[in-house]
Amino acid sequence: MDTIIELKNITYVYGSGTPFQMTALDDVSVKIKAGFITGLIGHTGSGKSTLVQMLNGLLRPHAGQVLLHNKDIWENPKEISSIRFKVGLVMQYPEYQLFDETVGKDIAFGPKNMKLSDEEIARRVEEAASFVGIDKALLDKSPFDLSGGQKRRVAIAGIIAMRPDVLVLDEPAAGLDPRGRKEILGRVRQYQRDTGAAVIIVSHSMEDMAKYCDEIIVMNRARIFAQGSCAEIFARAEELVAVGLDVPQIAYIAQALRRGGCELEGDIYTVEGALSALVSLFEKKGIPRKTANNA
Amino acid sequence: MLKDITLGQFFPGESYIHRLDPRTKIILTVFYIIITFSAKSIFSFAALFLSVVMIIGISKISFKTIIRGIRPVLYIMIFTMILNIFLTNGEDLLFHWKFIKIYKEGIITALLVLVRIIVLITGTSVFITYTTSPIQLTDGIERLFSPLKRIGVPVHDLAMMMSLALRFIPTLIEETDRIMNAQKARGADFSTGSLASRVRALIPIIIPLFVSAYRRAEELAVAMECRCYRGGEGRTRMKILTYGLNDFFAIFIFLLFLAAIILINIYAPGFKL
Repeated sequence: MDTIIELKNITYVYGSGTPFQMTALDDVSVKIKAGFITGLIGHTGSGKSTLVQMLNGLLRPHAGQVLLHNKDIWENPKEISSIRFKVGLVMQYPEYQLFDETVGKDIAFGPKNMKLSDEEIARRVEEAASFVGIDKALLDKSPFDLSGGQKRRVAIAGIIAMRPDVLVLDEPAAGLDPRGRKEILGRVRQYQRDTGAAVIIVSHSMEDMAKYCDEIIVMNRARIFAQGSCAEIFARAEELVAVGLDVPQIAYIAQALRRGGCELEGDIYTVEGALSALVSLFEKKGIPRKTANNA
Repeated sequence: MLKDITLGQFFPGESYIHRLDPRTKIILTVFYIIITFSAKSIFSFAALFLSVVMIIGISKISFKTIIRGIRPVLYIMIFTMILNIFLTNGEDLLFHWKFIKIYKEGIITALLVLVRIIVLITGTSVFITYTTSPIQLTDGIERLFSPLKRIGVPVHDLAMMMSLALRFIPTLIEETDRIMNAQKARGADFSTGSLASRVRALIPIIIPLFVSAYRRAEELAVAMECRCYRGGEGRTRMKILTYGLNDFFAIFIFLLFLAAIILINIYAPGFKL
């Protein structure tokens, strides 16, 4: 798979020279693959949000380079906003940045800054709204009248409407109920499948990571701790726990079942994976399918 | 970035100035302002400048921080300097071109006024903001003004409002920073274009900022009521302020300093402002 965006030896220090000095990124190098959903996990304060703000040039690294399509994004600092159209960043709690009179106008803010034609803007607003599941009738409403989950989706649509090559979401499901989480992350995955864009999701939820991501990057104390497929990452359960993270609960259950003598095959880190492993185990042992499904 | 504005930020520490009673620091600040404005001769300005360097040294606040704190008022300083250079009349004409006349006195005045502004800002911010936590500060103000309660001034409520306002400055700055970043991520541009377009570019920041400020205020009110806050009536304190020897010593030094400045003004006028 091609690399779409690459960080090379990035260092970033907050408040350097004050008593509050803190290194948020310490010589971080990482490659993000095109056409993948990459998950970024790490304990609070591990540098995830800082890393994410490097990707679209909101923060300028104190050392190192950010390469988008093999080109340094800081080559021409005046053109940095064109990078922001290519790398769309949805910040944490994006619903708090809605400002315009109507939902439609708010979604159109990004495309308008891109200086697109009115027809193109209208087309993109509609498209972005349908991607995140915002009903056409809501486009003329005030964003402040929507529910929390709807606001969040409108905010995400505001970024999607710019049609970025890389879509970065910082904790897109934080503070939502399980159905809201599923809805948003499902929409994001659908968006990735439909457009082929690279997607990066920052999250604390191991379950979500296992379910939606193709690749996972683990951060610990301003550095990259590990990068690999879900299977590779979750196989290192003990190390993850040691850096203040966890593995999906189902992985613990699978582990316990194995310890209890249940011969499950493959790496299990999603509920669906566990189910299919159990079904194949039951088939091997000759237990009728119906009973297996009930289990 | 916005986060670089240090004016109004507390730097925890253990220096002599940190340990002074907040009431003392308020009194010292008032003294310092009086001293700054009573300095007239060029020598008293030198003493003033020396004193501010000493105060910074004692407080152990880094010079970098101090300079960063002055930066926001740079334009005011440049503006007053220009006004003083061009508008002061004197005897020693240095430069003359059509209607523009620059006198030596104008340049000296401009420099002295510059020193005055720098001393005023750094002196007061070292005492009040850098070395005093907002809680201590409002505690100090409340105690200092408590005699006014007798004539019906709601001192406690005012102090509480002030401490809340101070408490939320960093929060709102952070919030502004975040919202700006979020809008920048959508290609918003705050620094180029005509004045009108720049003002318009602020709308996407100000509206979300107001919305969140109101939300925060409401949440805070609820949280305070949940903890049975009913105003200052009968409220006891965890930390009771007491004056120590240090406090009297500091006030004594400042009185001496004020006297010295006045004496310098009278006996060693040099160049007078």
